[in-house]
Amino acid sequence: MKLERYLDILTKSIWVFHCNSGSCNGCDIEIVATITPRYDIERFGMKLVGTPRHADALLVTGPVTKYMTDRLRRIHAQMPDPKVVIAIGNCACSGDVFYKSYNLDGPVDNIIPVDVYVHGCPPRPEAIIEGAAKAVLKLEKMKESLKKAGAAK
Amino acid sequence: MLDKVYSGFGYWDVFIWLLFFAISAALVLFVRSMGRNDYKEGTDQDEIFYGSNPVPEDGADMGVPAASAYWGFVEALKPYYNALIDIHSGIASDYVGYFVLTVAIVAVLVLL
Repeated sequence: MKLERYLDILTKSIWVFHCNSGSCNGCDIEIVATITPRYDIERFGMKLVGTPRHADALLVTGPVTKYMTDRLRRIHAQMPDPKVVIAIGNCACSGDVFYKSYNLDGPVDNIIPVDVYVHGCPPRPEAIIEGAAKAVLKLEKMKESLKKAGAAK
Repeated sequence: MLDKVYSGFGYWDVFIWLLFFAISAALVLFVRSMGRNDYKEGTDQDEIFYGSNPVPEDGADMGVPAASAYWGFVEALKPYYNALIDIHSGIASDYVGYFVLTVAIVAVLVLL
């Protein structure tokens, strides 16, 4: 499915919150690149927000250090339902070269449920945008299932 | 008592004030009603977002005081501020004493 089709399904643009759980900043820079004029993810209404209370999706970079474990859990718990988590980069997805390090609790799916994995060290902005588009599809499905279960609109 | 009070620069009317209050309250309630109400009460969704850290028990620990913005200014003028802080004893009779002293000095200057 082409990227345009993914975004046709958007009824409301997703807003994302970004959490760096111990990243080297490589992935963070690529996330920032998605909002530069070349990629301009904001033309779809998708934007980075300053609080998880306003977010639909959580972008997590880094392999989750012990210090960040509780903080990541707290951020995830504070997001309103329905929510999706996108693990950005090899560290967030698998721990990469830091896997089994003494000061890691991660990767991210050891701490919170992850919906979309975007691999790369760092992933290109196109990959992050495709990951966000897949998250939109998943969010739509979750919204539908919540509506069927009788959740308040 | 309920008449308009003219100050020379304008007027003050209790009914206009009440109307202003009612319109403001209606606007606030409208904006509030636009918010989501499907969050789960009593969970973290109900909690203040404090940079992902636990919210401090004491409100005084919640933020950086505004005075921090001019810390360098206060530091540079420390002798002056220390003198000012020292004379602010919090005792009213001290302040009245400063007032009497200042009036006496001004009076002497004016009379001479």
